Parts: sequence; structure tokens; C-alpha cells
Amino acid sequence: MWPWGSAIFSLAVLVAAICTAGSPRANAQAEWPGADAYRNADKDAANWILPARGYSGNRYVSETEITPENVGTLKKAWSANVDARGPLETAPIVWNGTMYVTSSHNDVYALDAATGAMKWHFPYKPHVIAFSANRGVALANGKVYEATLDGHLIALDATTGKPVWNVVAARDTTNTFYTMQPVPYKNMLLLGASNGDWGGIGYISAFDASTGKRLWDWNTIPGPGEPGHDSWSGDSWKRGGGAIWSGVAIDPATDTLYVDAGNPQPDFLGTVRKGANLYTNSMVALDISGAKPKVKWYRQFIPHDTHDWDPAMPPVLFTGTVNGSPRNLVASGDKGGNFWVLDAGTGAVVYHLAVSTQKGQNTQPSRKGTIACPNTNGGVEFNGGSYMPETNAFYVPSVDQCGIWKSQGTATYVTGQFYLGGAFPPLYGPSTGYVNAIDIGTGKFMWRKHLAFPQIGGALSMSPGIVFTGGVDGDFTAYDAKSGNVLWHYKTGMTIQAPPHSYVAGGKRYVVVAAGPAGVNFADPRFSKGAPTLEGRYSHPTSAVITAFALP
Amino acid sequence: MRTLALCFAAVIALSGASPARPASDDHAGALAALADVRAAVAEIVRIEDGYAVGHGAYLRAAHRAMNALVGRRDDGYAASFGDPGDGVGTLGHLDRMLDKTSSARWTPAVQGAKANVLAAAESLQSALHEKQMEDYQADLTRALASLALVVGRSSESGVLGGLSGALANTSLGVPRGAVSASGCAPPSRAPAYGVVAERLAYVALPRSTASAAIPDELGISRVVVQGDDVVLYTHAAREAAALCRGRSHMQRTRGVAAPAVSYTAPQAHAGVTVYRRYCLQCHGADLQGSAGPAVAGTEFLTNAKRNKWTLNDLRTTVFENMPFSNPGSLSPKQYADVMGFLLASNCYPPGGKPFPQTPSPSLAKVKLGPVPGAKPSNAALGTCAVK
Repeated sequence: MWPWGSAIFSLAVLVAAICTAGSPRANAQAEWPGADAYRNADKDAANWILPARGYSGNRYVSETEITPENVGTLKKAWSANVDARGPLETAPIVWNGTMYVTSSHNDVYALDAATGAMKWHFPYKPHVIAFSANRGVALANGKVYEATLDGHLIALDATTGKPVWNVVAARDTTNTFYTMQPVPYKNMLLLGASNGDWGGIGYISAFDASTGKRLWDWNTIPGPGEPGHDSWSGDSWKRGGGAIWSGVAIDPATDTLYVDAGNPQPDFLGTVRKGANLYTNSMVALDISGAKPKVKWYRQFIPHDTHDWDPAMPPVLFTGTVNGSPRNLVASGDKGGNFWVLDAGTGAVVYHLAVSTQKGQNTQPSRKGTIACPNTNGGVEFNGGSYMPETNAFYVPSVDQCGIWKSQGTATYVTGQFYLGGAFPPLYGPSTGYVNAIDIGTGKFMWRKHLAFPQIGGALSMSPGIVFTGGVDGDFTAYDAKSGNVLWHYKTGMTIQAPPHSYVAGGKRYVVVAAGPAGVNFADPRFSKGAPTLEGRYSHPTSAVITAFALP
Repeated sequence: MRTLALCFAAVIALSGASPARPASDDHAGALAALADVRAAVAEIVRIEDGYAVGHGAYLRAAHRAMNALVGRRDDGYAASFGDPGDGVGTLGHLDRMLDKTSSARWTPAVQGAKANVLAAAESLQSALHEKQMEDYQADLTRALASLALVVGRSSESGVLGGLSGALANTSLGVPRGAVSASGCAPPSRAPAYGVVAERLAYVALPRSTASAAIPDELGISRVVVQGDDVVLYTHAAREAAALCRGRSHMQRTRGVAAPAVSYTAPQAHAGVTVYRRYCLQCHGADLQGSAGPAVAGTEFLTNAKRNKWTLNDLRTTVFENMPFSNPGSLSPKQYADVMGFLLASNCYPPGGKPFPQTPSPSLAKVKLGPVPGAKPSNAALGTCAVK
């Protein structure tokens, strides 16, 4: 008996030793990010664990090996194909060598961040109300969380991709869906709902991250008896819009949540909702330390909007140098082509700059049609921009379009249909884009590039001096942060409407971006004729690809 | 007043055993609104029946009635005269009931009640300014007439029914936490409230408690004793029964009537090109959606039916908001052709007339949904191929 027992014992020890050595747990890093990791997420050189890197919402990475001198040698390191039924807008989450991304129809993928090899895939088949898009997952407590197009909030086991729980989170699934990336904060998941053009009322919710139980909702439209309710005539507040759908910023030191509430409804018919229509088209600073959020301050960018010019850009908190001294600021941008820099403590306007052509700002849509710029898909879009301390500049892409705005005499609510009181505007004139660098010292342009196609890919700034962004023509470009010169570019052959991220895996730094078919807003008429690319003609892309780049 | 409140309390206590789903406080709000109306009426009747001498007592009565109606948040409220109501006022309660994103079957009755409260308040307001006793009394009589309409009667469920009619004949009569049952079948247990499409058909009570627990506001058209229970049928019971019959009739006949949709085969054929060029990129070659939603087949049609979309809703979205990157940019002929293509893809048979290029009111009468007797060429998706 002895020899047998001894052999089995030795084998077991040997297997255990091999497994321990080969397991990622042997790594010094903790298995899942803890509270400190989220708080300091913007200083973690290797990982990217929050939608816009840190709670500040600033896609900025300091001290990287990629410089203006060597970025020209950047090469594709790997690419991974995902479900291509719609545009990719996913903001990749990277932790401990694993990348989590989503497709337009809510499939979730875990990829090896160094090779692109698929670790697991969670397929999903949601009913689509209007647009298919998803901005990515949240990672917390060993779970991956996704909010879906059919109004569900789903928790998956981050190691296996198996569902842990699945709850209906939207209050009305006939007119509400989710595109926003949930944000883990303390024990909560913060999540805003998309319903702003379909006759709902905007709200952001906090869910218990362990159970999916709703902790609170904050409505963007004040109800009877609440301050601001008198900014709506009659019953118009009941379908007032104001969706919170892009992203948020948080100051953990004061438990302040910064959100941008979307446009009022019916979008193009102001006469049935007289008044300023609070808190639509506003940035709102909410105290979320208690059981219910409290409004600290708000800044309404466009009172009584009739052009769907909502502040799509997620707020970015940063300390900039204004008139030679540091100041805590928060930036936002709206589809009306305005870029805003506010005092983060009070909401006072520090700078306001037009980053797209503006015309007819004070006109109203009419039955015959009124020309105004930007178009409803113009101005600053949902991936926002980035601040770089080295240059004291803010980098934000924008879309330059004009439209013809028509309204109707009345607005009728039909379940699951647009609630507009008019029609979305046809394009008037060309459809182009800008990449803008704004000097925070002066509030003026440091440089700007006019490009042939709309720019909605957000911006990633990396010290010592590069800005990455992608256009809807699929061109992924590295600009010199100081001069705006193009240092490197890569034609994906697809549409880029996802933000670039950067991380380290296997000791190597990567820059990653998702590209795929055009979204409904940016299905450029030129694409159907075939826009020129390096590969030849552009046609409807039939693939959706995550591409990672690295120095050779 | 007191008996009313007690009776309702008894019903709530009886029915609290297993609440079906949380109701809002509208039921309680309606009762409180009624109580305030009755307090105002009592003030007016007391001064009219009494032998008060001097201006002051009359003014005081008008003020107190006004207070009960408008509530302390209104400018017309004069606190110094006292308030025989609850302070919220009939108007306060009614406003709370009406301040909602959706409307209920009882909404018109409550809106009517509100208009009559405002009329009564107007009469009381002028009574406060009268010099002659006759004028004062005429104003109060007008106020009483308006308030009678606010209270209404339990045999009517529309505007004439007032608050009593709404409480007696609609789901407003169901107290918070009470058991709701389908009003199409007799109750399987009591206490229960039988409801069909927001109509209150009956209230079932255990026999042992029924005599003590019959709500004042219940308008009883028929009483049926069923074992140990008493079933009190309301005035809306007949209408509810007709609805129940209609439902089963519709279930039997569904799939027979052909939808009145018209387009021509050449239109659908021409629509193929339009779809490929302007729509396919977002809605897919199989019409099941990619960047945009599905536009044909089982998923589209079941969703359209669930949301009660009409052909006009589809027309509006296509003609005015598509293609989404450049809405309204196609010609009326292109839009009409692509509508023909979409209808054909959804297995609607072509008709004698082309799909119109201009708005047509008749399209709003056509409800979209799975086509009866359709034979999809793609059974999995429920779509029909268009050539």
C-alpha cells in the first residue's frame, strides 16, 4: 500500500505546484479591483477599470512609452471580430490581462488583452426599440455588468461569462432602453436610461451591485411640488424627456455626481411645453452621499431647446490652469456645437466656445422648415473629449452639419415611437468634422483640424504629447498634442464611434479602439456610394472589430 | 360622513388579506375629495336652513365652504374663518389624482368634477361680494347645484357620474391593497373586486359581514347570493359583461377579417431598390435590423401589435424620420414604394390601390399586426420575399 499512496501524494503536490505557478493568482495583483483601485483608477498604468478611465471621466494616461517621436511606428498587434449587427460603441474595460467588450446587440466578450484570444462569449438577443448600441460593461466584485437594449441589467460571472442574475431595470420597457455603461461606485451601479426621444422622463438609477435591487431613481424632470416644476407649462412635464444616456463623472471626495440631462420633448415643438424646461439640456451636480440624491447646483446650457441639442458629452472633471492659477473645472459639450467649461464647485461658466458652425440658434422649427446648425447629430457627441495637463489643453472632436427643421401643430404619443412634434432634420449642405484643441489658459483654440467626415470617437490624450481619435470614415489618428500635426494614422475600413483606450498587458503598452458598421446617426450618404479608403472603396462594413496597436 | 368612512375602513380591513398589487392612493384621494365636498355642502345648507341675522355669519359660511373646496394652498383660502374640510381641499385631492403621466377610465369623471368644483368656487366667490340677501342666496344655490354634480350619482360612470359614479363603476372604487379579480367570471372567493378594462363590475363580500360593510358609494344594480358570499353587481356590470362577451367573440373571429391595407405589386418591386440603397445598411438584408430595429416579420409585427401601432404611425416614421442620417430626403414616390416593399415583406397581400404618396387619414384606422392566414416564405423570421 505504501508505494501507491506515496506516488499519488507526490503527483498531487506536483500538479498543485504547476497550477499555482501557471495561475494568474500567482501575480501580485489582487484578483478583482478593490475600493482603492476604483478611486485611483486614473493613476493605474496597467488597467482601465472605469468607463472613462477614472471617476473624473478624463481619458488621459500619463507617462507612457509611446511618444510623438516613436508613435509613427505603431503597428496592429491583434484584432478580434465580434458580432457585427450594428455599430461598436464599446469602451473596453481591462483588468489583469483580460479585456471586456460588448457588441451593439449586447453580446459580451472577454478577450486576452495581449493576444485578442476569446476567453468567453455571452450572446444576447434583445428586442431593439430604435437604435442598437452599447457603450460597454462595468466590472466589480468578480462580476461583469451590462445594461441592455430591452431594459435589463445583467450580472455575469467575470471568470466564466455565466449569468449570475438578470433584472428588468427600466421603468417602462416600451419606450426605454439602455446604451450607457454602468458605473460602479461604492456598493452601487449608477445607470441612466435612454428614452429621451420616445416620450419618457429621464432618470438615473442606483442599483445594489450584489443583488440588482433598485436603491434610488433621480428624475431629471421635477414633479409637482419640486423646485423647477414651474418651468413646464401644464402637463407637458409628464413626457418631458431629459434622458441621462451618455456618461457621468464623480468626485469621490465629496460624493458629487455630475450628470448631463438630455433634450426636452416633444423635441421640435416648443409651444406645447412653454418655459425653460428644467433640468433638460443641463449639467446637474448631485450629492449622492445620502439615501436620495440632492441637487447641489445645475447649469442649463440651452433653456427651452427645440432642436434636440442635448449635452451628449459626458462631464470631465479636471484641474486646469486659468489665468495662471489652478482651478477645479468640469467640461461638457452639446450637440448645439457649444463647448462648456464650468467651475466644478459652483457651476459658473468659465469658458464657452463654439466648436461647430452655428446658425439659427434662436429660430424655431416651423411647418415649412427652418435652417439651423448644427444638425441634430452635430456638435459634440457622446464620447466627449480629454484634458491633458502637459499642454493645459482640452481635446474634443465635433461634427459640422446643418439641417432643415420642421415642426407640426401637435405632438401625439404613440408607444414605442418617436415623440417629436416634428421630424428629424434632413441634412442641409456638407457633413464634416473637426478635431479641436482648446487652451484652458485662455478659452481659445490652440489648434483645430477640419476633416471631411464627422468626428465622434472621443479623445484619448497620452503624455508626453499624443492625442488619439477616430472618425466615422474609420480613420484612427494620432495627433501631436501641441501642434495638431498628424503623427500616425490607420484606416480601419469601418466606422469608428467608440473611444480609444490604453493599457498594459504582458509588459507591453497597447492602444485599443473598436470599429464596425455605421450607427443610424452616422450612416453617411457617401458610404452607400463608396467613400475612398486606402484599401479601395468604402461600402457597408459587415464586420465589427476590436483592434489593439503596440510599438514593435 | 362618519358612516361612510367607517364602511370603507371595514372593507379595507376585510380585503387586506392578499393584495394583488399595490394600488395608488387615488381611491383614498377620491374619498377625501368627496368628504371635503360634503363638508362644504353642510356649511351652505346649515346657513340656508338657519335663522342667522347679519352679514357676518353668511360671509363666514361662504368662506368656510370655499376653504373646504380649494384647500390651504390656494389663494382663495381664508384661514381665519376655519376649515370644515381636511385642509388639502377637494381641488388639492383632485389635482393629485389628475397629475399623472397616464390617464385612467375615471379621469374624465374626475376632470368633470374638478370643473364643477371650480364653478362652485366661482359662485362662492361672487357670494362674498353680494350686497342683497337674494343675490347671496342665488349664488349659494348655484354653488350647491355645481357641487351636486361633483358628488354625482352612482348609476352613471361618465362626467355625469361625478366622483360617486367613478367610485361606484370604475377601478377607482377598489381600495388600496384590495383583491382584484377578473370581472368576466363570478368571484371564486370573497372579499374581491371584479374589474374588466377598468370597469368595476361587482364587489363580493362574505355574507357574514356584508350588511356591515357595504360601501356608501357603491351603486348596486343587482344582488346575488352565492354560497357564503354576497355579490353586489354595479351599474357598470352590464357594460362589463358586454365587454367580456366581445372579447371572447373577438378571440373566436380573429384571423378572419382581412386588413384594409393597399399597395401594388409594382410598388413593392420598385421599393426593393429603395430599401437596398437607403435602408438596408441599418435594417439589414433580412429586415431584422442591425444598427436600427427590425422592420418586418414576427418580431416587428408582434411588437407593433403590442404597442398598438397603426399603418399611419409606420408611415410617419418612414416618410418623416427616415433614413435617419438624412430624414425626409427621399421623394414621395420613393417613400411610397418602400412602404409597399415593407408591407409586402410583412406578408400583407397587395390591393387594388397604390400606397398613397400623401398623408391619408384612413391609414390611422389600420392596426398593424401579424397578418391572418399569411404564409411567410421565411417561416423562422415570419417575412415574405418580395420580387
